[in-house]
Amino acid sequence: MNIDPFLIWLEATPLSQWVVGSPSMFAFPGILALHAIGMGLAAGLSAALDLRILGVAPGVPLAEFRRFQPILWFGFWVNAVSGVLLLIGYPTKALTNPVFYLKLLLIAAGMVLLVRIGRQAFDQRPGAAAAAGPPARLRRLAIISLVCWTGAITAGRLLAYTYHRLTALR
Amino acid sequence: MVHTFQVWIVTAIGHDSFVSGVMRSAWGWPIAESLHFIGLCLLIGSIGTFDLRLLGVAKRVPIASVHRFIPWGLAGFAINITTGALFVLTEPDQYIYNPSFHFKLLFLAIAGVNAGIFYLTSYRRVFAAGAALEAPRRAKVIAAISLGAWIAVIICGRMLTFYRPANCQGRQASLLLTCDPK
Repeated sequence: MNIDPFLIWLEATPLSQWVVGSPSMFAFPGILALHAIGMGLAAGLSAALDLRILGVAPGVPLAEFRRFQPILWFGFWVNAVSGVLLLIGYPTKALTNPVFYLKLLLIAAGMVLLVRIGRQAFDQRPGAAAAAGPPARLRRLAIISLVCWTGAITAGRLLAYTYHRLTALR
Repeated sequence: MVHTFQVWIVTAIGHDSFVSGVMRSAWGWPIAESLHFIGLCLLIGSIGTFDLRLLGVAKRVPIASVHRFIPWGLAGFAINITTGALFVLTEPDQYIYNPSFHFKLLFLAIAGVNAGIFYLTSYRRVFAAGAALEAPRRAKVIAAISLGAWIAVIICGRMLTFYRPANCQGRQASLLLTCDPK
């Protein structure tokens, strides 16, 4: 399937041209900066929960991590929006690179795992079960979650080095 | 002046070392950058969690318990100082003359001094046995400055590419060199 007509159309839209071509620091540079901050909040706070499950900071009740979730999700939505803007700016660069799809897959897996981990971890009441530590299956999910975030971040960084075509227009 | 010092650093680091050889290999720079971003997440996830707790998130949890995350934040910081040094050692002029790098160092210093002030002035009160769950006002201000400084560090880091120093072409800087004199 040839998606070039779509890519050419998208790259010609005013929004795409603004993201890529505007000299404003709020355009491409600002969006990139937001994308890094959102990553720190989403992947960072997710990793903190994973680390807690794996035994770090045992004095923090697992259920209390629920309180950090709104900030984590704020970071996720900042990145969903800034990510879409970056994609509109350079659609060819991302969509013709398999690494981009790997990154999306790893983020999707990371978020699904986060929801599953939350469902199991936030319902735990402090008591006998909590004293014994998180169950093995929760620990497994935490390890997989850490692997997914590490992979998603690496794939994201590699996008700058592995693309074949930058734009379809030029 | 400061710019003499900058030129001296860039010359002293030089360009053809073992480090720049590894960094210029096909995978050197991309791997170091990936590690730099992973370190960023570790740092924000850990230090950010502690700062947010001081600011009042998850107020029922003893502050000392949340402080157990700090070593992981320091591990992220160590990763980033190491990989950051690799970048500067490989392309010194791209950083030493870059205004965004100057601001990044400034905000790193603010974050560091701010953390030092926390341990000097608030540590005992916040960590005393039976300490109140609500952090004192001073600790909250420190936590807010910490979050702000780290976010500023990220922004300056991302801006480095867009403030790459151009050739000076005879211009002289007043305090800091923000162009490449070579």
